[in-house]
Amino acid sequence: MLALDRVGKTYPNGVHALGGVSLDVELGEIVAVIGGSGCGKSTLLRAIGGLDPASEGTITLDGERIAAPHEKIGIIFQEPRLLPWLKVADNVGFGLGDRPKAERAQRVASALKRVGLTDKAAMWPRELSGGQAQRVAIARALVPRPQVLLLDEPFSALDAFTRTDLQDHLLDLWADAKPTLILVTHDVDEAIVLADRVMVMCPRPGHIFDEIDFDLPRPRDRQSAAFDFVKRRVLSALDRSLNRAVTGAEAETKTSAGAALWW
Amino acid sequence: MSAVSMTAAVEDTPAQPGTGRRWSRLAWPALGLILPVTLAVGWEFVVRMGWASGRLAPPPSVIFATFVDLARSGELQRDTLVTLARVAAGFGIGVTVATVIGAAAGYSPWVRRLLDPSLQALRAIPSIAWIPLFILWLGIFEASKVTLIAVGVFFPVYLGLMGAIQSVDRKLVEVGRAFRLSDIEMVWRILLPAVLPAYVISLRSGLGLGWMFVVAAELMGASSGLGYLLIDGQQLGKPAEIVAAIVAFAIVGKASDWLIALIAAPFLRWEDVVRPD
Repeated sequence: MLALDRVGKTYPNGVHALGGVSLDVELGEIVAVIGGSGCGKSTLLRAIGGLDPASEGTITLDGERIAAPHEKIGIIFQEPRLLPWLKVADNVGFGLGDRPKAERAQRVASALKRVGLTDKAAMWPRELSGGQAQRVAIARALVPRPQVLLLDEPFSALDAFTRTDLQDHLLDLWADAKPTLILVTHDVDEAIVLADRVMVMCPRPGHIFDEIDFDLPRPRDRQSAAFDFVKRRVLSALDRSLNRAVTGAEAETKTSAGAALWW
Repeated sequence: MSAVSMTAAVEDTPAQPGTGRRWSRLAWPALGLILPVTLAVGWEFVVRMGWASGRLAPPPSVIFATFVDLARSGELQRDTLVTLARVAAGFGIGVTVATVIGAAAGYSPWVRRLLDPSLQALRAIPSIAWIPLFILWLGIFEASKVTLIAVGVFFPVYLGLMGAIQSVDRKLVEVGRAFRLSDIEMVWRILLPAVLPAYVISLRSGLGLGWMFVVAAELMGASSGLGYLLIDGQQLGKPAEIVAAIVAFAIVGKASDWLIALIAAPFLRWEDVVRPD
């Protein structure tokens, strides 16, 4: 279990980016973190990833304190961040440097097959499309078999079609080993398609404003009424987090899908 | 009738790209040869016809004969080797020092703050201005020449490496951190490959300056070397010898540059290079 206990972050320049976030995430759960810009959602993710350790509170994974990058925690960034001097296959195997060559080759091959890029193994990253590159990045993060996978707006730089494609693909890959996924996004649809829970954050300092649990069967139909209902709940929570509408009933009517485009 | 024109068209089509490709493969590079070859042949013709004496500007055939004579007597090889040895020593020293200081200054803001202002001030001095001082300090023999070359090589390599390290993509370094690379692994697997393209470019421009300064050093006083051959040709009034030495400089200079490019090529194949044409 991943446990966050009153996690806060104050940068050396005095900016109080995160103030007391507590959150428990079970193994295999998919949690989406959503919120306007500057609400500390990326800061939170980087703290869990150990890249920018929290300045207050504790983060533990199965009781083990996380203060630096951990082998059981993988991370996928907004950009693929492939190493341009390594072939696609070597990028996928980047996290397996300490494994025997045969094992590495076998695991890389199966990961590439899993993301449908076997034929690109010998290519340079620059020869890939944006969607392909992000699939390679996903494969690279999954190859060391992380227990927790952090995703920082992983599909936001992609076009709409590729994005929905990769969302479905991610769920498909998740089903293999069912790691915990924590997904930072500003796309409400993406959060609802992927997650079991949506955490809505708001700024000054960043904290969890509301939590929306829902139990929609997968695969989720983006057009269904149930999906739309959850979307309304998330959008209303977002609206309230920004002090746009106060009463719940009012929020229900005032909220429109367009509000999500505010950021 | 239509069948005839059809076959004609079918036969025509594959032939055209073939000739087009052959044209571009052979004639395109040859285009650059037209000017120098025309000038050389033209000058040869002018001298042969007796329209010019060619004493101060010898025609290609005389230069070639001088080149062959110098090579046959062993003088050309000996002088080339001497010059090559000076450049190699100066280049080796300059690159080593520049790499150490450049890497330290690129990596550590403290070192950069400490050394860079002084080095930038020194860089403003045209390196050839050091020659008299180096001769006073180090004598007129090899030490002063090698030092001058090393100073010339130092600056482009130092600046290139420092800049390259500072501009390594922080996002890629973070990938290394996320995969828990040790410091040594970080240098070996992220920083070194990221810095290599700019480093190779700086080595090549450093080498170019090395060749420039070996000429300056040898012109100032030497009893051997290609630069000495230049002076010798001037003092004895043998322009063909001067041109032969220049040609030798061009050949070894280009060859040494090509050697660096050749050694680096397998490591830089990933680069998104815009190929000529």
